Amino acid sequence: MMLPVVVRRFLGRVWDVISAVSVRAKILGLALGLVLVLGAGITVQVRASLAAIMQEQLDDESTTTARDLAARTTDLILLNDLVNLQKLLLETQANNPDVRYAFVLDAEGQVLAHTFGSGFPLGLLESNTVRPDDHHNTVVLQTDDGLIWDTAVPIFNGRAGIARIGLSDARLRQSLQVVTGQIALTVALVLALGVLVATTLTWVLTRPILELVRVTRAVSNGDFSVRVKRWADDEIGDLADAFNDMTAELARTDEIRSEREQLRRQLLERVIATQEDERKRIARELHDSTSQNLTSLMVGIKTMSATCKDPVMQSEADKLRNVAAQTLDEIHNISMRLRPRVLDDIGLSAALEKLVSEWQARYKTPIDLLLQCGPQRMPAEIETAIYRIVQEALTNIARHASARAVSVLVEERNGHLLTVVEDDGRGFDSAGKTGDGHLGLVGMRERAELLDGRLTIESSPESGTSIYVEIPLKGAVS
Amino acid sequence: MTTRILLADDHAVLRSGLRLLLETQPDLQVVGEAATGTETLNLAETLQPDLILLDLSMPHLGGLDALPMVKQLVPSARILVLTMHDDAQYLRKAIQGGASGYILKKAADVELLSAIRAVLRGEMYVHPSMTKSLLEDLLPNSGDTTEKDSWNLLSEREQEVLKLVALGYTSAEIAEQLNLSAKTVETYRARGMEKLGLRTRAALVRYALRSGLISGE
Repeated sequence: MMLPVVVRRFLGRVWDVISAVSVRAKILGLALGLVLVLGAGITVQVRASLAAIMQEQLDDESTTTARDLAARTTDLILLNDLVNLQKLLLETQANNPDVRYAFVLDAEGQVLAHTFGSGFPLGLLESNTVRPDDHHNTVVLQTDDGLIWDTAVPIFNGRAGIARIGLSDARLRQSLQVVTGQIALTVALVLALGVLVATTLTWVLTRPILELVRVTRAVSNGDFSVRVKRWADDEIGDLADAFNDMTAELARTDEIRSEREQLRRQLLERVIATQEDERKRIARELHDSTSQNLTSLMVGIKTMSATCKDPVMQSEADKLRNVAAQTLDEIHNISMRLRPRVLDDIGLSAALEKLVSEWQARYKTPIDLLLQCGPQRMPAEIETAIYRIVQEALTNIARHASARAVSVLVEERNGHLLTVVEDDGRGFDSAGKTGDGHLGLVGMRERAELLDGRLTIESSPESGTSIYVEIPLKGAVS
Repeated sequence: MTTRILLADDHAVLRSGLRLLLETQPDLQVVGEAATGTETLNLAETLQPDLILLDLSMPHLGGLDALPMVKQLVPSARILVLTMHDDAQYLRKAIQGGASGYILKKAADVELLSAIRAVLRGEMYVHPSMTKSLLEDLLPNSGDTTEKDSWNLLSEREQEVLKLVALGYTSAEIAEQLNLSAKTVETYRARGMEKLGLRTRAALVRYALRSGLISGE
């Protein structure tokens, strides 16, 4: 069904308002609105029908009272007993509180008696007339005191005169007022009750929901120990149960995940340690054995050529010596790259100095190296990690950055070892995903995190790349 | 008069090669061979050699640790370090430990004799490729010759940013601390560095330490 655009837009706006308020406001608004509409409806309805009935009654009463008065005045008028006539009028007024006034006119229209103490209002005479053969005539007069039902009845078919009586609606209005007041009071009481009920209902409904919200937040912050209380045996209670089941399941999954993470960490630690050990072993082997053999070879060749007088043999010996020297150089470089001896023998600072000086010589880019760590040795795994991270960072710079200035900073500050490798080359989007090109970065980060440290990369095309590594020293100095 | 030499190296073949090479010279005489650091100490004490050819990496007390002890036992002996290590730090430690010369094994065959001669003459001999690292300590750091006054040329913001950079904060951290965007921090930093004539973070830290803007450790 297609609604006109205007209607849809209006409904949309209404929904916007309704949906924006809280559940409490919705329920309260609904209850109070209903009670108010009902109360107003009843009041208007009751007032209207009551007024109609009472006016009809007043009309009847007016006629009856006037006719009764006319019947009783006939004799008195004929006897011209004005004293008793006056008395009768006063009695009539006294007996019926609705009677505002009563008076009697003779056949000529002269006032014979009236209940107006001070003076008779002359205007009243013309306001109602009755023909002699009429039963009666009632008119409703608008006065300052409200409506007056004025009835004129001919006495003795008009031959003796006219009896007139005025009935006020003051009592009627008062009764209406009282009834309206009572209805309003009832509505107010019901309204108060409605507020109470609605508030209770809201509380009953929203309390478990608010509780759910609180617990959900706790769970999303990683606290899986929280549980929702099942408040009531209804749909919300079922929701609470389902939520608790889900939290328990999450807690289980999280435990498994952290166990796996722990395992992965241990494995990684082992892999790294094993790799370093292996590299150290091979480097040592090359350094201690292979290199020494080559040196022996060179010294031997030198001795032989020194004692040999044949120039051809001497030049052959020189060539051999050069081959050995070149091989020695290559072996030295391989061993350096595997794991520099100086890292184990002297420490991180010396190893970094060496790394930096070789890198500069190789790539012809200056590195500003600043080492602000004390002479004492740091734990071997920290030294190794920092060395490898700087090594990797420099390799990346050589490969990708085309930098003009590079800075390597290692300093001890507030119990942390801070390392910053910075270049002014082409940066990259450090927020981007870690593709295969950034596998090296992942490795660096892993190394830092295994030592409870953290690695931050900031990079932009304008200002190059900065890699920050912060590792806690925990006062541990090996 | 012959010079009495003690060979200290854990590699037997190399030792014999060296002995042969040295004994081609009539005035040099190898009086003993040691394969470990402790052995070197013992032989040095008993033989009182004029010159000790010392390898730095030996089992049981490395040459680097043995060096000062040998020097103490035989103060008159010249010590010539013969090693694989071309690291500046080894060289420094060796010189501090009392070595008179430092040559690399890869050049042993060509340099050994001239090095020995130089040391015996009372000179120092260091493999030419390594003299630079010794001299570097004496040279002022290039690019850091900024005047202290230039700091005052910086705006307050630039000063704040540079101080935090020198303390090792990341741009993001500085941005958060100063309520700036990371880009703005980069700009302040670049402008401040430019004014100070510094090109790298290391240079900035050095400058900050020297002028007392931050304290070391």
